[in-house]
Amino acid sequence: GDGGAGSALSAAPGRAQVFATVVDTFLEKLVAAGSYQRFASCYRCFYKLQPQLTRSIYDQFISQLQASIKEEIQEVKNEGNLEGLFSSLDKIVEEAKDREEPAWRPSGIPEQDVRSAMVPYLLKHRSYLRRVLREKEEENRKVAESVLMGRDRIAELQQLIQAHKQAWQ
Amino acid sequence: MSVDPMAYETQFFGFTPQTCMLRVYTAFQDYLFEMMLVVEGVMLKKLDGIPGCKISPSQIRKCTEKFLLFMKEHFDKLFAKMEEVLLQLVLNIPKNVLLPEDRVHEQYPYSKEEFQALQDELQQLQQQCRAEAAAGQALRAELEEQKAVRAELEKILKCFDGLENICREHGAVNFKESFALLRQNSKRLQDVLKDVEEKSKKMKQHDQLM
Repeated sequence: GDGGAGSALSAAPGRAQVFATVVDTFLEKLVAAGSYQRFASCYRCFYKLQPQLTRSIYDQFISQLQASIKEEIQEVKNEGNLEGLFSSLDKIVEEAKDREEPAWRPSGIPEQDVRSAMVPYLLKHRSYLRRVLREKEEENRKVAESVLMGRDRIAELQQLIQAHKQAWQ
Repeated sequence: MSVDPMAYETQFFGFTPQTCMLRVYTAFQDYLFEMMLVVEGVMLKKLDGIPGCKISPSQIRKCTEKFLLFMKEHFDKLFAKMEEVLLQLVLNIPKNVLLPEDRVHEQYPYSKEEFQALQDELQQLQQQCRAEAAAGQALRAELEEQKAVRAELEKILKCFDGLENICREHGAVNFKESFALLRQNSKRLQDVLKDVEEKSKKMKQHDQLM
C-alpha cells in the first residue's frame, strides 16, 4: 500500500496542528450555534421590517466576530512565540517517548534544586585540585631528593675539613 | 478540588497556561459583546430614519439580550471544551518528559549529605595543596642555604689546599714565615668554621619538615 501516506497519518499531529484545529472547531461550532435563523428569530420585529438589512447585518457581525477571534489568537501566538515553543516541545516529547518513569520536577525548594546544578562545577573543580596536588607532590619529591643529596655532600665536606684539621695539629 | 498549578509548563512556556486561557476567554467575550452593541447600534440608527416606526429601542434591546444570552451559553460551553483540550494536549508537558535545561538534576541527584561530602572533599584538597606549597617553599629555602654553606666549606678546603701548596714550595727554609702564615690562616679558618657550624645547626632544624 502507500506506506508514506500511512505513516504520515499514523504520526500524531503536532501541538501547533492541534491548536489550530481546536480553535477552528470552536469557531465553526460557535457560528453554527449563532445561525442566521437564530439571529433573525431573536430580532423578529426588525427582520419583518428590514429582511435584507437583517441578513447583511448578520453577515457582517459573524465575519467581524470570526476575524477578531482569529486576530486575537494570532497575537497570542506571536507574543508567546507559540509556534516555536510547540515544535520544540513536540521534539522533546518525542525524544522521551521510550521513557516510562516520571521525570524529575522542581521540588519547590530552591536550595535543594540548586545543588544538582552546582555539582558539575564542583566535580570539575575537584579534578583540577587533584591534578594540581599530584603535580606539587611530584615536584616536592624531586626537591626533597636534592635536599637530601645536598646534606650528604655537606657532611662529606665537613669530614674532609676535619681530616685536614687533624693533619695540621 | 486541587488545581494543578502547571508550574513546569509555566517554566517552559513563560506563562501560566490557565492564565493564557483566561486572557483569551476574556478577549473573545469582549469581542462578542462589542459586536452585539454594533449590531444594535446599526438597527437603532436605521429605525431612527424610518418615520412612524412602531419598534422601540427597548424592544431591540430585548432582542439583543435574547440573542446574546443564547450566544453566551454556547460560547461558554464551547470554550470550556476547547480549554480542556488545549490544557491537556497542547499546553502541557507529559509526566515522563524532562526539559533539556533540567538534565543536570537527573544526572547529578546529589542528596544533602553527598553534596556536603563533596564540598568537604574540596576543602580538604585545598588544604593539602596549601600544605604542599608551603613544604615546597621550605625545601627550596633549604636548597639555597645549602648552596651558601657548600660554597663556604669549599672555600675552606681551598684554603687548606693553598696552605699545603705553599709549604711544599717553601720547604723547611722559611719555617718561621710558614708558621706565621699558618697562624694567620688558622685564625681565619676558625672564624669560618664557626660560621659553618652555626649554619649547620640551622639546617638541622629543617629536619623536622622532612
